[in-house]
Amino acid sequence: MDSNRTALPFREFSHRISLVFMLTLAAALLLLGRAETYVFDQARQVVTDLAAPLLEVASRPVAAARRIIERTDEYAYVFDENERLRAENARLLAWKEMALNLEARVARYEALLNVQLDPSINYVSGRAVSDAGGPFVDTVLVNVGREQGAKSGLAVVDTDGLVGRIVSTGPKASRVLLLTDLNSRIPVVIEPAHYKAVLAGDNTEWPKLEYLTNVSAVSPGDRVVTSGDGGLIPSGLPVGLVIQTNDGNLRVQTFSDRGRLDFVRVLQYEFPWQVERQDPPEVLKGPPASSSGSAASGTAAVAPGGTE
Amino acid sequence: MVRLDPYSPTPASRAGRIFTIVAPFVMGLVCVLLSFVPFGRIVGSSLTPAFVLMAIYYWAIVRPEMFPPIAVFTVGLVFDLLSGGIIGLWAFVYVVTYAVVISQRMLVVNAPFTVFWFGFLVVAAFTGALAWAVVSIFHGMPVPPSTLVRHMVLTVAVFPIFVMIFGRIQTRVLPGS
Repeated sequence: MDSNRTALPFREFSHRISLVFMLTLAAALLLLGRAETYVFDQARQVVTDLAAPLLEVASRPVAAARRIIERTDEYAYVFDENERLRAENARLLAWKEMALNLEARVARYEALLNVQLDPSINYVSGRAVSDAGGPFVDTVLVNVGREQGAKSGLAVVDTDGLVGRIVSTGPKASRVLLLTDLNSRIPVVIEPAHYKAVLAGDNTEWPKLEYLTNVSAVSPGDRVVTSGDGGLIPSGLPVGLVIQTNDGNLRVQTFSDRGRLDFVRVLQYEFPWQVERQDPPEVLKGPPASSSGSAASGTAAVAPGGTE
Repeated sequence: MVRLDPYSPTPASRAGRIFTIVAPFVMGLVCVLLSFVPFGRIVGSSLTPAFVLMAIYYWAIVRPEMFPPIAVFTVGLVFDLLSGGIIGLWAFVYVVTYAVVISQRMLVVNAPFTVFWFGFLVVAAFTGALAWAVVSIFHGMPVPPSTLVRHMVLTVAVFPIFVMIFGRIQTRVLPGS
């Protein structure tokens, strides 16, 4: 008797058992995955670090092909582009004068008020080496890891504006959560009305504006920048422009184009979490202890300082 | 009388045999990596087709014995780990899809290419709907399906190209094809 013929039912049976087992295991993993345990995070990071160099190599021809297409486009419209740039240059020269005047005025005000500026920001440049890889996640890998100074929570920008923030880091690569991802929430401010809101991604092309107190004060075309609230992302980073969708909702067209992400900067900054105690100036402490109300006024003066 | 030595395979032939056994699984892993290569940026888009789904459908129909459930699960899990999304989502969705394809395999196994392609359209719709349902349950709200629909439409559109590539690999590399 042919041994293959006798082995066939057994093979089919083992195939089915294996399928049922894998289905159960996958369902269990899906439920366990909700816990987001340390093991899964580590496994994720290991796989990411292994894949990042391969993806970096694979993404180079893609970047080269894109550059060729862009160059061809530029050559085709070189005269139009030249005219546009001349006009823009004339406009920008006027803006430059205004900016220099404003810079000098702001510097005078800052000196007068002894204002504390935002923390200084350094940056590390890298490349976005991967695509989102699925319809439900908007993250990319960048080839800047812990060894280059990347940390979870740091903002990532490109030449146009804010791209997202780092959500996990490995030694060589980091994962960036883009503004359009379902889990992305960025505190922003809308200029010129200066109303605060939260920019919430929902896996569509244009993130939503949530918790906006006065919708009527905001109109399409207004500029959206980071507010710096919560001490997560520095204030003033350009995010995008307000647009109105067909259903009347206000959304944001981001300056950075996720379809053209290439070189990015990971911003390195440290917010001053440790605030040292500062006593109020002497003039606010009231009259000397000899007067009758000294005890009461002394207590009132110390109270804002904290403890005593 | 001349005595013949018993046949023992050379290391090269052993390596070749191992390769032919693991080839579909390796192709699955390559498809995972391809899913993250930003091809869309060439034309200024962030859309990429579901390469892994194409590999699972093709090999589940053509050579199911060479692409066992454990390979499907592993490929799905690696995709989950690399995508940064819900752990187990694609492992679960792909194993369920594989089970469905295997159960209906006889309908398309020797059918003309148009039927094979139409079968893939149905499978892509099923996979997309299942993934959307799981993600919506996970987030506690219906997620916008527009990106998913575009992703699946692109996948079905480029499927014939990958059938050609997989077909070449099947006839040139894998034995008994």
